[in-house]
Amino acid sequence: MPLSSIVTAPTLRAAGNRALSVVLTLLGLLLLTFVIGRVMPLDPVLSIVGPDADKSTYDQVFRQLGLDRPMPVQFGYYLRDLLHGDLGKAMLTGHRVTDDLARVLPATIELATMAILLGTCVGIPLGVYAATRKGRLADHVVRVISLFGYSTPVFWFGMMGLLVFYAWLDWAGGAGRVDLAFDGVVPTRTGLLLVDSAMAGDWEVFRSALKFLILPACILGLHSMAYISRMTRSFMLAQLSQEYITTARVKGLSERGVVWGHAFRNILVQLLTIIALAYGGLLEGAVLIETVFAWPGFGQYLTSSLLLGDMNAVMGCVLVVGVIFITLNLLSDALYRVFDPRTR
Amino acid sequence: MNHKRWLRPLALALLLGVAAAGLQARTPVDQLIVGFSMNNLLSLDPAAATGNDVVEINTNLYDYLIELDAKQVGKIVPGIAERWTVSPDGRTIRLALRQGVKFQSGNPLTAEDAAWSLQRVLKLNLAMASPWKSYGFTAKNVDKVVTAPDAATLVINLPAPTDPKMVLYTLATSVSAVILDRKKVLENEKNGDLGNAWLTTHAAGSGPFTLQEWRAKDTLIMNRFDGYWRGPAKMKRVVMRHMTESQTLRLMLERGDLDLASGMSVPDLEAMKKNPDAVVEAMRRGTMYYVAVSMKDPKFADRRVRLAMRKLIDYDGINTAVMPDYGVPNQRPVQLGLAATLPSPGYKLDVAGAKQLLAEAGFPNGFKTTIRVLADPPFINIATSLQSTLAQAGIQASVLSGTGNQVYGAMRERKFEILVGRGGGGVEPHPHGSLRALVLNPNNADAARLTNFQGWRTSFFSPELNQLIGEAEVERDEAKQTADYQEVQRLYDTQVGAIQPISQMVDTVVLRRDLRNYQAHPSATTRLRDVYKQR
Repeated sequence: MPLSSIVTAPTLRAAGNRALSVVLTLLGLLLLTFVIGRVMPLDPVLSIVGPDADKSTYDQVFRQLGLDRPMPVQFGYYLRDLLHGDLGKAMLTGHRVTDDLARVLPATIELATMAILLGTCVGIPLGVYAATRKGRLADHVVRVISLFGYSTPVFWFGMMGLLVFYAWLDWAGGAGRVDLAFDGVVPTRTGLLLVDSAMAGDWEVFRSALKFLILPACILGLHSMAYISRMTRSFMLAQLSQEYITTARVKGLSERGVVWGHAFRNILVQLLTIIALAYGGLLEGAVLIETVFAWPGFGQYLTSSLLLGDMNAVMGCVLVVGVIFITLNLLSDALYRVFDPRTR
Repeated sequence: MNHKRWLRPLALALLLGVAAAGLQARTPVDQLIVGFSMNNLLSLDPAAATGNDVVEINTNLYDYLIELDAKQVGKIVPGIAERWTVSPDGRTIRLALRQGVKFQSGNPLTAEDAAWSLQRVLKLNLAMASPWKSYGFTAKNVDKVVTAPDAATLVINLPAPTDPKMVLYTLATSVSAVILDRKKVLENEKNGDLGNAWLTTHAAGSGPFTLQEWRAKDTLIMNRFDGYWRGPAKMKRVVMRHMTESQTLRLMLERGDLDLASGMSVPDLEAMKKNPDAVVEAMRRGTMYYVAVSMKDPKFADRRVRLAMRKLIDYDGINTAVMPDYGVPNQRPVQLGLAATLPSPGYKLDVAGAKQLLAEAGFPNGFKTTIRVLADPPFINIATSLQSTLAQAGIQASVLSGTGNQVYGAMRERKFEILVGRGGGGVEPHPHGSLRALVLNPNNADAARLTNFQGWRTSFFSPELNQLIGEAEVERDEAKQTADYQEVQRLYDTQVGAIQPISQMVDTVVLRRDLRNYQAHPSATTRLRDVYKQR
């Protein structure tokens, strides 16, 4: 397909509108978070100075954090800095929020990517299998599995997983990202430990990182697996009842050809959308798994910042989540356009 | 189908798994691996750092001038200062410093460093300036009153009369009293911050361990400092991991992947007590769990209502059902185990007595009120118990639970009715520490905003008690001072203070049995230099 057939004047205009709406969405998101953050009865100063500090210390830190300025001014400063790529300092860690995020995001990306890979690789075949055996035992089994995976709290799964696979069987690592003996052994390049250790050619670290990653990723992946298999099943069922499927069967196409060659190809685009959204959900929703497994990622960072009222950090996180969702949405839209000519 | 084909490997795998589970003691023998929640660890700067966690870390990165013995409450032992004297009038403390000590950077440690470190705390005026300000030190006077006449002598002139012993205790226990490497800190100064930004995540000390790395809410690693003046520590590395989940801590301890854990929940602690590979150690701290009422509320300004409140707490029930592993019974504002501590007054739940008092005060049918409390155990459990005993006397209390910020924030604003909380200084083994925090209220005006005094926060104002506490503080005759402090407690009892202690805090750590010489310290200055593993 020539590129010029996709990039036309109307598409450019649409892209411009799209970009504007993205910026406005993010701005609105930030404003909302900012206002909520200021209205909430959270006091970052108190977190910093402790409950026993006297007034002069309190006031001094209050001023240092710029909280003595009017709210619109504070927000204005925030936006000005944001345009320079500066998300401000995390009040409570003293680091720049961008540095903090650069540290915690890769940990979560690694976890969520592994989880979505597992969820997709297992979820799609399960869903297809269930759809082709609608109403039969296999279908019910898959539905029960996905219902179980979807409705059981991920926290409970995490604890049970640790108990069985770490404490009893010793198949998986415990809490953390890597064995302590290997902590900081390979140089940080991407922050993704599997990638970094592979780049450094240190396969011992790689194995250890994989051992620690596999359990939380499986448990997190279970949730998306359940979701993906459920959706795959219903998408497939919708396709399998279409006339073109009957035609294909009548023409004598093998069942495998009908299912994978015809029906599955037609649900691919829908699947991409739900996988993208599930991935976004994993990135920001890994909070509980990160807590159980002491995984130093984005979820933990966001919750502790929220609890302590560290608004710079919280707004940085909100921005990241917003950008992730918008990017994934745009990406799945773009994929629609590539794979489904009707949407062009 | 041939079941044997998959049964055999499965059985083998299970067997291997069980065998592997039997393998214990997996941490390296020369490294101490610690797991705890680092949520309260916000800054390592000794001038800004609040909370016990940072004290435990800085105690091992830095040196104190003097130290408190971990086993004998109140016994001062030498640190960097070999000797110290107090002038007859009690206003000057002179410390003779050990010579030849070097910082981890290689710079020599001198009295100038010690003086500068203390001066810095007051000039920065951050959280840890509080104890010093309470003795009258200020950013303005500190250069004059804390001096180093020569490299081996540090002189501290007390700006206001107080018990010099109390100041010595603060020197020995407050994280603000550690000695910083002045040269190294000033090399990293930015915009006149006296190195505050840099010290948030770095350290410049002379302690037995150097800070290798601190990733906030992730990992903190300390390495042995081989040039330590007492001789190198026994462990090569101390690795601390941020872990908030009690059950994860327990599993890792059981597996031997952790040597030491703190902040575990009671069910997990109880389980670990039965584990032959673990030792559960409880350490009494000076802070109290209490029920506080605000005397800004006219109801609680009435002594009879406060007395009724005192009778509506189920001390026995709370201490037996809720507090094991969190606290030990104490109904006095002075911590247990001091010479001045009076025996327990023996308050008990007495609903009939409370009802009568409430009727006398004009509340025969009780009233409606709210209890503010942290959402975590044991606070929330105490509040629930209180709610039900209050109800027995007709007081309908709704429980408002929240974060520390919300609960203590409201208390600082004097906007609460009843609050279940914990506080009371108590780092120093001296009655004044607790009384200053819980009872003293030098000025009850709203505008005074003495938010660091919990007495002020509750609006409890007793000129007699203020005066008596002040007199006891400067009393140089020890026997008379003890008698004075006992009188303070009796008077507090009669006047019915706004803060009713229930339990004194206990901090429980769990260690693997192969750990030797670990001695948790009541003031959190737990020293790891002698800790080792025997396998």
